[in-house]
Formats: sequence, C-alpha cells, structure tokens
Amino acid sequence: MSISDRFTELAHIRDSLGSLAADPSRIVMEKILSPTEAVIDGKPTILVGTNNYLGLTFDPDLIDAACEAIHEQGSGTTGSRMANGSFHSHAALEAEFAAFYDMPAAMLFSTGYQTNLGLLMGLLRPGDKVVLDAHSHACIYDGCRISGADFFAFKHNDPEDLRKRLRRMGPDAEGALVITEGLYSMLGDTAPLAELCAVAKEYGAWFMVDEAHSFGIYGETGRGLCEEAGILDQVDFITGTFSKSLASLGGFCVSRHPEMRLLRYGSRPYIFSASSSPANIAAAHAALRAVRNRPELKKQLWANAERLHAGLSGLGYKLASAPSPVIAVRVPSHEEAARTWNELLASGVYVNLVVPPAAPDGESLLRCSLSAGHSFDQIDRIVAAFDAAFGNATQSLQAAGAN
Amino acid sequence: MSSEATDLDTDILTTLLGFLERFPTKSGELNAQTDLSADLSLDSVSTMEILVEVEDHYDISLPLNMMANVNTVQDLVNEIKPLVESKP
Repeated sequence: MSISDRFTELAHIRDSLGSLAADPSRIVMEKILSPTEAVIDGKPTILVGTNNYLGLTFDPDLIDAACEAIHEQGSGTTGSRMANGSFHSHAALEAEFAAFYDMPAAMLFSTGYQTNLGLLMGLLRPGDKVVLDAHSHACIYDGCRISGADFFAFKHNDPEDLRKRLRRMGPDAEGALVITEGLYSMLGDTAPLAELCAVAKEYGAWFMVDEAHSFGIYGETGRGLCEEAGILDQVDFITGTFSKSLASLGGFCVSRHPEMRLLRYGSRPYIFSASSSPANIAAAHAALRAVRNRPELKKQLWANAERLHAGLSGLGYKLASAPSPVIAVRVPSHEEAARTWNELLASGVYVNLVVPPAAPDGESLLRCSLSAGHSFDQIDRIVAAFDAAFGNATQSLQAAGAN
Repeated sequence: MSSEATDLDTDILTTLLGFLERFPTKSGELNAQTDLSADLSLDSVSTMEILVEVEDHYDISLPLNMMANVNTVQDLVNEIKPLVESKP
C-alpha cells in the first residue's frame, strides 16, 4: 500500500464517521469548567466520558504541586533519563510507588501507552510466548507485536480458555507471559484475577496485570483489583497510568522481582523517550497521596457509579456490566448509537461513542465513565438526558425509515 | 514430500475450505489460492472465528503474529501444518 492509498483509506474512515455526524475529532472543549464540566459548541456540557475517576484534575493540592514543580524544576526535562539524567522528583515518585505496593521495583514511563509498550518490548524477544486476554488494550497488542514474540489470545475473562491455551503450548507454557487487565475500559467488566493467576501459576507462567482503569478505585487501599483479589504476592508485573485516577500524564510499573529495574537498560520506549515533565510528576505524586489519604474520593465515585447504573437500568437499557466506574449502554445499531450520541451532546451531556472494532461483540456502545467529582444532581440530569436522547433518536430513525 | 505430509496438507486444506464455505467469495471460487481479505472480505471478527474453529479442530493455538504472513488459504495451510506436526 502506498502512502496515498493509506490517506484514501483514512479519509474513508473519517467520512464514514462524518456521515453519522459522529466524528470524535470535532469535539473541542473550548473551556474546561471543572473535572465534570466543559464548554462544547458554546454550551456548558456535563462530561461523563473522561476517565477522570477521582475527579482530581482541579484539586488544589495537585495544581499547587504542579505549579511549584514548574517554578523549581522548569517546564520540561528535555530528555530521557538514560541519556540526560534523572530529576530527583522522578526517583522520589518511583520510591513512593514501590513503598505503596511494598515491592522492590518500580519504574516510570512517559505515558500509559508507553508503559505497556516499554515493559513488553523490554521483557520479550522473538520466540517467547505470550497469552493475552482477547479484549486487551491496543498498547498490549502493540507491545507484543513489536517484540517479535509469539502471542495468543484467550477468550475474554475465561480462565478455562486460558488453561486450554497453556496446555496446548506444552513445555513452552512454563515461562510464558500471561497478560490481563483489571477493569476493562469499554464494557466496564472486571477480570477474575484470582482464577486467572492460579491457572498461570499452575503452568509456571508469569502473570502481568494492567490496572490502568482500576488503580485508585479498587482494593482496600486503592492498589487496584490485584489487591481486591488478594494476589499482590503472586502477580509478577503490575502496570498503571497517571492519566486516569491520578489526573496527570505518565505511567508506572511495579514488580515483586527486583530484576525488573534492569529494564532501564533494555526497554527502548524508556531509553529513547523524554521523561515526564516535572509538573506531570508532581501532580501524579500529589494524586498518589490523595489515593492513600483520601478514601472518601473512592467512596463518592462508587456511590455515583451505583446511582447512574440504577438510573440507566431503570430506563430498561441493556448495560454491559455490573455497576463499576465504567458504564456502557449497548446499542445494536451503529446509526441509533450515533444519533443518540448527538442528541446527548445537543442536550449538554458528553459520553463516548464506541463502534466496532473498538467495541467488542459487534454492538456499539454509549460509554460513560464516572467521576468522584460528579454530583448526584448531574447524574440525575445524565439519566434524564439519556431518556430524552433515545426517544428523539428513535423518532428520527422512524421518520427516516418512513421517508 | 512424503505421502504422509501430502495427506496432512490435503486434510488441512479440506478442513479450511469447509470452514470458509459459508463466506461468499467475490470471484465465486473458493480454493487454495483464494485471498482471505481481497476475495473473501473477512473482517477481523470473522477471521478470529475461523482461527478458533481451526484451533479447536486440531487442538493447537495459532499465534496472532502469524497472520502477518497470511494472504491466501494456502498461506494459512502453510502456517498451520508445522503446528499440527509439532503438537506436544
């Protein structure tokens, strides 16, 4: 395929979204009013598709820490830690992650995407074997692909299918890497981590969990679903991002294996990327302290999630999972999903429109992500907006059909 | 090529064609040279379904990275064959 052919292909994708008036690139937030509200098309809009789970983006502690870091350390690091040196703030945040997890090794990466890419490119070589959950995020697939390892998918959240895949590997199963996530970002369902970990360990495989969407909101102390499942002493690698609960930009990996620190010498995304800016590191550090010291944030988030789930269930919608901070309404028709998404936006509610292949199972999703910053009043307005939007979308579809 | 190897080639090809016959082809023909993407227009979900059927039939696991080498039905036969031969 030539570059011009590729441009044609991309234009086709854009046009197909444009024909549904559902091109996400047209959403521009002209003014950010709070963690849960912005001005879009000149109108104040409730944001319920941001992954701002703990609602910390405007928290005074985070803002003060970020501003102070800029004044003390400057606007950027201007280079990678291996080539240009580490700022003390990066080392301090790594130490705090290691202490929080009570693990000997922690490493920071510049984005959440690069965290998984960096870990997998550092760990894996051609011929290595990986078994990953079929619903894994693109960065996990990309890390496996770039590493040259042989990678296999097991059925989403299915320990028996994982067992089948490992059995078929024969002796190669020992030393293979099994990868799953905690909370899945599209459907809002959670992995049966204890069962998956037990199968991996039965075959002598390594076990890695991406807690991008579950860190800070699951587990007694906020360490994620691994903590909730009671497997912190068995999981080999945990990754996470700063760009969701931690309200910043960057990512982390922790491990009970001190050797993980050696990846600094062999992970190309780590070696060749500039490190996160001092402001990003300071905000993430302040947010990590909030996770540790302000459990009321998690409590409020869960109360909000329960309320939205109950409200949308009460309207009779087909929801993709039990209550969680991600609540996705399943919509069989892409056109109905797009029309409803537009109706929601027109009424001042922004959710995520997800169509296949990003949405699994062939259906489209109207995906909501809750925040501790939402008020009950906002959630009730979101539920009312869904009710009106689906009604209007159905009417306009019927009218289009009648014509 | 031994007769055993030939038999295995034929068996895999016949099995694959059986799994694929429910998908219409643009040319109207389905054979070893049929292009999975251009002739059959298999999307990623359909491709995954076919691969799972093949895996369960032979009790093997096909690495996803293998698909980069696969265009035609025969390419897929060539990837499956060594996995069947080296089953633990």
